[in-house]
This record gives sequence, C-alpha cells and structure tokens, in this order.
Amino acid sequence: MGYKSKVMMLAAISVAAGACGATSSTAQTSAKSKFVGCLVTDTGGINDRSFNASAWAGMQQAAAQGHFTVRYLQSPSSSDYASNIADFVAQKCGIIVTVGFDMGPATQAAATSHPKQKFAIVDFGFSKTYANVDTLQYQTNQDGFLGGYLAAAMSKSGVVGTFGGLDIPTVTIYMDGFVAGVRYYDLKNHAHVKALGWVPATHRAAGSFAGTGLFTGSFTNENDGKLAATSLMQQGADVIFPVAGPVGLGAAAAVQQANNGTVMEWVDTDGCISAPQYCPIFLTSVTKGITVSVKGAVEAAANGTFRGGSYVGTLANGGVTLAPFHDFNSKVPASLKATLASLKAGIIAGKISVDPNSYPAS
Amino acid sequence: MSGTGDVAWTGGVSDTGAKLIATSTVTPTVISMTRIRGLGVVSLLLTAIAAPIFGFGQPASARVIFTFGSAQSIALPQLALPVRWFSLSMAVVMLLAGVVLLLTQTRRGAYGVFAAAVVAFLWSFLAWAARGNSLNLTSVLASSLVASIPLIFGSMSGILCERSGVINIAIEGQFLAGAFMGAMIGSWTQNLWLGLLAGAVVGALIGLLLAFLSLRYAVDQIIVGVVLVALATGLTNYLTNQLLNPFQGTLNSPSTFPALPIPILDKIPVVGPVLFDQNIFVYLAVVLVVAIDIALFRARWGLRVRSVGEHPEASQSVGISVVRTRYRSVVLGGAVAGVGGVAFTLGSVGEFSVGMSAGLGFVALAVMIFGRWRPYSAFLAALLFGFSDALQSILAVLNVPIPSPFLIMAPYLVTIGVVAGLVGRAVPPGADGKPFLQQSKG
Repeated sequence: MGYKSKVMMLAAISVAAGACGATSSTAQTSAKSKFVGCLVTDTGGINDRSFNASAWAGMQQAAAQGHFTVRYLQSPSSSDYASNIADFVAQKCGIIVTVGFDMGPATQAAATSHPKQKFAIVDFGFSKTYANVDTLQYQTNQDGFLGGYLAAAMSKSGVVGTFGGLDIPTVTIYMDGFVAGVRYYDLKNHAHVKALGWVPATHRAAGSFAGTGLFTGSFTNENDGKLAATSLMQQGADVIFPVAGPVGLGAAAAVQQANNGTVMEWVDTDGCISAPQYCPIFLTSVTKGITVSVKGAVEAAANGTFRGGSYVGTLANGGVTLAPFHDFNSKVPASLKATLASLKAGIIAGKISVDPNSYPAS
Repeated sequence: MSGTGDVAWTGGVSDTGAKLIATSTVTPTVISMTRIRGLGVVSLLLTAIAAPIFGFGQPASARVIFTFGSAQSIALPQLALPVRWFSLSMAVVMLLAGVVLLLTQTRRGAYGVFAAAVVAFLWSFLAWAARGNSLNLTSVLASSLVASIPLIFGSMSGILCERSGVINIAIEGQFLAGAFMGAMIGSWTQNLWLGLLAGAVVGALIGLLLAFLSLRYAVDQIIVGVVLVALATGLTNYLTNQLLNPFQGTLNSPSTFPALPIPILDKIPVVGPVLFDQNIFVYLAVVLVVAIDIALFRARWGLRVRSVGEHPEASQSVGISVVRTRYRSVVLGGAVAGVGGVAFTLGSVGEFSVGMSAGLGFVALAVMIFGRWRPYSAFLAALLFGFSDALQSILAVLNVPIPSPFLIMAPYLVTIGVVAGLVGRAVPPGADGKPFLQQSKG
C-alpha cells in the first residue's frame, strides 16, 4: 500500500478511534430516590458556557431540589449520539435529556423503539407528537431581534456582524432575528447600519430560517471563532454576535485582544455569568431558558407528572430574554432601554414582525 | 546539535559516506511536459471563468476598493478599481500564461508561469467578491499567517521525524497534549513561558513513546501514531472534565502571549503588520523553518538524519547510530509539535477546549507531503492553507453567492487539489516508515 493512502486511511480511522472516548460523569446529590436523570450532550460538552452548560445546570438544579442523581455523557462526535442514548436506555434512566438540533434523529429513533423510556430534547421539534418525548424549543429570533436593534443603536461604525457555528435552524434563527432587528432599526431611524455575516433568503417557506452567512463549521474549534470575529472586524463591524457555543469564546478572545472598542453580544446564556472574564466586552446576551425548561422536564419526570409534548419558549413566557447589560448598564441610554421595552411588548402582542424579510435590506 | 558529542559515541563517522547515502535515493523531481501542458489547460480554464463572470459579467460602474491600512504602519493610499476592467486585464495575464505553458519547449519556470496565472485569477476573484465593498488586504494576509501557524509547526515536526525515517502520525495528539498542558501549566503557574515549556515537554514525551515503540519493538509506526492520537484525545477529554472544568478559574484561564511589534519594521506598509506585529509563535515558526532547513541541509547533524532516513543499513555501516539518530529526531519533532499545540491555547484563545485541534495535525501531514519534506516548501504550503482559511471567512462576510459549506470546505479542497494535482509523485525519504532492526552493535 502506498504511503499516502496508508496515512490517510489511518488518519480517518484514528479520528473515529478518538471519537470513541466518550466522557461521563455523575453528580451524586445524597441520592434518596432511585430516579436518575441522564443528559447526552452535543459535541460542545457541559463546559461550553452555552447551551450544553445550560442544560446540565438545569439537571443539577433539579437534582439538588429533588434529591436524585443526574449523569451525563458527552458526545465527542455526532456518531456517538445513538450509542450514548443506548447506554442510558440500558441504565434505565428516569429521563434522558438530549441536547441539540443534531441529536433529533437519534432521539426520535430511540423514543420510537423504547416507548416507555421518557425523553426530553432541547432545540428540536418533531412533526408528530410522541407521548414519551418532551420537545423544548425556543423562538430566539424574538430576543435576537432585540439584540440586533440594540447592536445597531450602539454601533459607532455603522456595521455590526454575526456568525454561526453550523448552518442549522437553531443557530440561524438567532442570526435571522438579529438581522431583522438591525433592519427594523434602519427603517425606524432612517439609518444605514449594515449587518454582516447573515443574509436571509428572500423567498422561503414560513418557519424557515434559510440564508447564507459566515459559519465556523464546528462548535469545537475556538480558533475558527477568532478568525471569524477578526474577519468581521476587518470589514468594520464593532458589535459582534457569535452564535456558536464555545467557539464564540474564540471570538471574545479576538475582540479582547484587538482592544479597539468592539463589543459583543453573548448567546444562549448570560455571558457575564458563564464566561465572566469577558464581561467587560459583553454588551448583553441573547439567551434562551434551557436551564429552566430542562429542570422543569426532569422534575416532571421525577414527580410522575411528565407529559410528552412540546414547549416553546418565547418573550411572552420568559423562555427567551435579553440578559441584563451588566458593565454596559450605564452606557446604554435610558431612551434606548425604553425603546427595547416597547419593542418587546410589540413582539409579544404580535404587532412587530421578527422576520427580516418584513423590512427592506439596507 | 552536531559536534564533538556525536563523534564520541559513534567512534568516527564517515561523512562522505553519509553524504552519498543521504543523496542516493533522492532523485531530483523533474516536471513532465504532459504536466506543463495540463497546467496550461488549467490556466485557460481559469481565464474562461474569470473573463465572463468577473469581467464582462460586471457593470462598468462596479468598483472595488482595496485598502492596505493598519493602525501602526505607514498608510498606503487605497486602491479604487473598476471591477470589469481590472478582472479583464487579469484574464489577459491568465490567457498569456496558458498559451505560454501550452507552447513552451523548456521546462524551466513552468511553475512560476502557472503561479502568475493563479495569482491573477485570485486578484480578479477578490475584486469580484468584494465589488461594491472595500477589502483590507493587509488584514487578510495577517489572518492567513496566524491561521497557518499550527500547520507550520506540525509540518516541521513531520519533516524532522520522516527525514530520519519515522512516520509521525501522532502530530494531532501532540497538538492536543501541547495545547492542554500549555493552558493548564500556563494558567496554574501564571507563567506563559512555563506553559510553553510544558507543551514542548509533553509533545516530546509522546515523541519518545512513538520512538520507543517503533524503534525498540518495531511496531508499525502508523499504527503506533494512530494509537497515540487516540490516547492523547482520550486523556485530554478525561482530564478536561475532571480537572479543567471544575477548576476553570485556576487551571484553564491562562493569559495569552501578547503581540510583540518589532520597532521600525512594523511601520513598513503591508509587510509590517503582517510579519512584524505578531506574537511569539509567529516569529518562532519562521525561525524554526529557517533553522530546520539549515540543520537538515547545511549541517552535519542533518546529513546524518537524512542518511538514516534514506538508507539505515548503509548509514550504520559508515558508523552512524541509526536508532539513536532516530530517537533524537522523533523526540525533537514531538517537542516542535507540542509547541504548535501550545499555539492553539497560549498563542490564540487562551483556554483549552476538548478536540480543539480539529484535525489540523493530519492536515499538517498533507502540508508536509505538499512541501515534499522540505521546510521552505512546507512553509509555503502551510501559508496557502492559512490563506484559503482566512479567505473563506472574509468571503462569507462579503456574502459571495457560494453556499457556506463549500466555503468552509475551501481550505481542504485547496489542499487536496494541490497535493493531487500540483505535487505529482512526491517521493518520501527512502526508509520512511520502515522499521530498522539493528544487526549488531558494531
């Protein structure tokens, strides 16, 4: 066998081999109950300062209050989803929570073949309802809209930017709302703030968040996030909104090292709590209430009140929110805060559209 | 590394012999006329893409602005160009290059002519992609260099090992281990230099393990390398969850090496911000490339390393200790890859995250092959990959009508393209990957 073919073949094998090493942990909290809550994380892992971390926090909170045990398995790659879920099914978990859009098919397959096993899945909805699955979804284009409006209002250069980890709906819904907010700002204030990194498709089906934009291609390589943020800054963006889990930390590093007045909006969780070292550059965070809803699903399963179905987080039910401004509280003008509040009310009342195609592109 | 010490334990080495061995199996690669004609066809194809789309396809009013500014260097005027006419003039360059390559009778300079066609294509493509916008070329070049840093270290590690006849598939593992140790030690001791040292040491240790298993027990080097990658991946995953995550504040929050602008030189337009306003890893990478090239091709040490990699039995017969030479090369290569790993954390984003090297250790091997096991060529290959990486990111920002998955693929496509299409048959060192069983200790 030739040198190159041998090398490349084995490189492929080793990637797969490395992926086999799923990591796991158990948080023991004076287990009085035999109930075990189990979490399968996406590739980001529980320390992503973002959606996996939020889900694990929800599990831990439920465990602390309900005195039962929670465990997690990290999926080093997407090929581990099914086997991690199967492990937990075999361990007779009281509920298996799977995190992330990418885990939808694996969860669906497991839920179909194990109808008595309770599941909850973050960030995915099925076309039909399963009695044993609670789907948790969030309309993050609503708070993304507020984030976009805020970014446009705070930008000095007249250019703001966003980028995503993967081109999947749960990511692009944020970017979509962000761009809608910027366009709405331009329309209402006769401004010309440009939003880079996401161009929504003009003709698309209702509920689709299709378009083209800047993506890092993974939720793991923080250096790609650094590169993406650098590219956005090169093109003049001074407010950056990464929707890429831990990869956003690379963007934060780039912004902090550039030290040119650029600020960021963090995603999923309140960045000043999950990544406090970067709080001085976080204007705000565009969050979704994964922690609360995961906690709710796990508690329901533990208490026997679990019902399959779908939960949708919105601005109205507090499932998605714009986080506090923290260090920027004094820098955001009171008038802008008032505008954001009225925009929020308008979105809840259905008077303001969060679809970017409702507004002219600048 | 060469010197009196060598002589003491080899008992006198015939360097004339070593020279004969080192150059015995390396045939100078001659570009075939067929390949030159092929390059000519490709140049014409580039013309056929550029002229109608980037040139005639654009309205006469479309402008692009290229800027070269940076905060520090002396300002250059920006360049406002009409996209259509600029692209068409570039298309003429491609056309001429294609014609020359198709008609030429000499082989000399063929790659240079083809490079001119590719560069012209790139310019017209950039003008088209950034039409109606301004594009800061200095920043793109600076990002390219930064993006290529891991690949430079990785490919240099590969060259050191393979020149001595040991294949180092474990670069990816050395990256991960180096990144991990760099972040942990750098954070724990609050001393970045100790972090850098720790990364080099752990890389060298993995190299030692590779050398031990493949030299002492003659285990298949590729298998060993793959196992070591799996080991490093698993260990760093496990330790991240057990150590770094619970103690994020003390064990995984190092600062990063700051940019070290070199006075005066950093004021040079374009070159200054790209080359002379970077952090220690960029300078280290450039120095390393030069140093390894000198060590391998201008020093006695490298002569012995290469002779061992080409023909170990013959090298032994002239008094070189094959095993010892290979040990040193592989351990040194491991340290280089370990430092490359540290660049992921202390040279870039600060903290370690699971799997953060993202397969670049394997890309580094491709870069090494593309560079034909030569430091300068591998350096250029790494820059090419870094450039395509930086370019795809800026293209996505400029919203070119190319789907994002294809943009993300671009650096890998370029790598595959050049390895398969341009390099042709790359000849590895004669004894690369072959175990050497020492017959007797002379």
